[in-house]
This record gives sequence, structure tokens and C-alpha cells, in this order.
Amino acid sequence: MVDKVCRECRSIVLSGQSCAVCGSTNLSTDWGGYVVIIDPSRSQIAKKMQITLPGKYALKVR
Amino acid sequence: MDEPAKPENAAVYIVKTTVNQERSVAGLLAQVAKKDRFDIRAILVPDELKGYVLVEAAVPEEVDQAVQRVPHARVVIKGESSFAEVEHFLSPKPTVTGITEGSIIELITGPFKGEKARVKHVDEVHDEITMELFESVVPIPITVRGDNVRILKREETE
Repeated sequence: MVDKVCRECRSIVLSGQSCAVCGSTNLSTDWGGYVVIIDPSRSQIAKKMQITLPGKYALKVR
Repeated sequence: MDEPAKPENAAVYIVKTTVNQERSVAGLLAQVAKKDRFDIRAILVPDELKGYVLVEAAVPEEVDQAVQRVPHARVVIKGESSFAEVEHFLSPKPTVTGITEGSIIELITGPFKGEKARVKHVDEVHDEITMELFESVVPIPITVRGDNVRILKREETE
């Protein structure tokens, strides 16, 4: 099954029909790039992407 | 309970992987980092980099140790990159960048693969191009994604 990505916060939704991070149901299967954030408070990548919760995210969502 | 002080400044280390296993390597590296409490902060897998993942971590030794426990992760490339060097991967450019109205392009995928067309409209927001095929008897506008085309000739000045 193709993973879905939330169009609002770019988090990868592994199961269900809504985003676990922001609760949005606006999901897409057309996405690219992959980021795993482990320590958002000390990661520069997380800061730049404005991510505050650890998890898996896409770089680009269509 | 006292954890050793961890350096705040992290660098980006490049890990070589088997091609097409970049995402699984990133997922497994994250699992290993959490389980063994390595100071790995983020793992980046840009689509443009085949066979590599970028790891944001404080010390290279911990990346090295984590890589040894992950299948398809081969080796950590010597040296480190700064965050500024990888920052551009975080905001990918639309694929239609550089394509202008009037340009001649070739479709590289889909039912019209190999057909040549003239660009009528470029939609940067949706990353789409609207075009008219040269071979078509009746001019019908076709809209495709920006990555489905190859530029043959830039906009013509008449």
C-alpha cells in the first residue's frame, strides 16, 4: 500500500484516513523526498522545516 | 540518570546506501538511533540523491556505529557537511522552473510519449504545464506534470 502524506504538515500517514500530527484529512499519495526527524528540538533540519514533533515527513507533496 | 553533555552543534554526515533502499535505510537508522540512544537528530533522503542519505548528528562515530547495524547502509563518507550545504534539499524547486510559454518540449511518459508540443501555459503552483501537440490536427490543450516533459527548445522569439 502506498503511504499517504498530509498536505497540511507533510507528515507521512502510515494508517488511517487522517493525519496523526495535525488531524487533517487532506492526504495525498503523490509525494517525494523523505525526512525522519528524531530530535526536533535540536535538529536544524526540523527547525528549517518548522517541525516540532518527531516522525517521518515528506519533502514535497502534490 | 545523568547523561553526558551532548554537543549542541550538529553536522551533516553522508551515508552511502544501496540504490533504492534509501528510505528503508533512513527508517532503520532512526530505529537504531532511538534504541541505542545515539545522538542522531534527523535523517534526510532527497529524491535527487540516489544511493545516499544525509544524517544530522553531533559526532561521526555514532553515525558509524549505527550504520554498521543497518542492512543496505554501506559506509559513512569521510568528512562532514554544513547545514547550509544541504539546506537547498529542504525546499525542492518546482519541476516547471525554467520552462516558459512558447518553449518546445517533448513528452517523456504517458500515452503521448515521444510527441512534441508547444507550451501554452505554465502553472508553477500546481507544477503543471499546458501544451498543444504539433501532430494533433485539432489543437487540443493537454495538461501534464512538469516532470513528464523534456525541453527541446527554449521560448522562440519571432
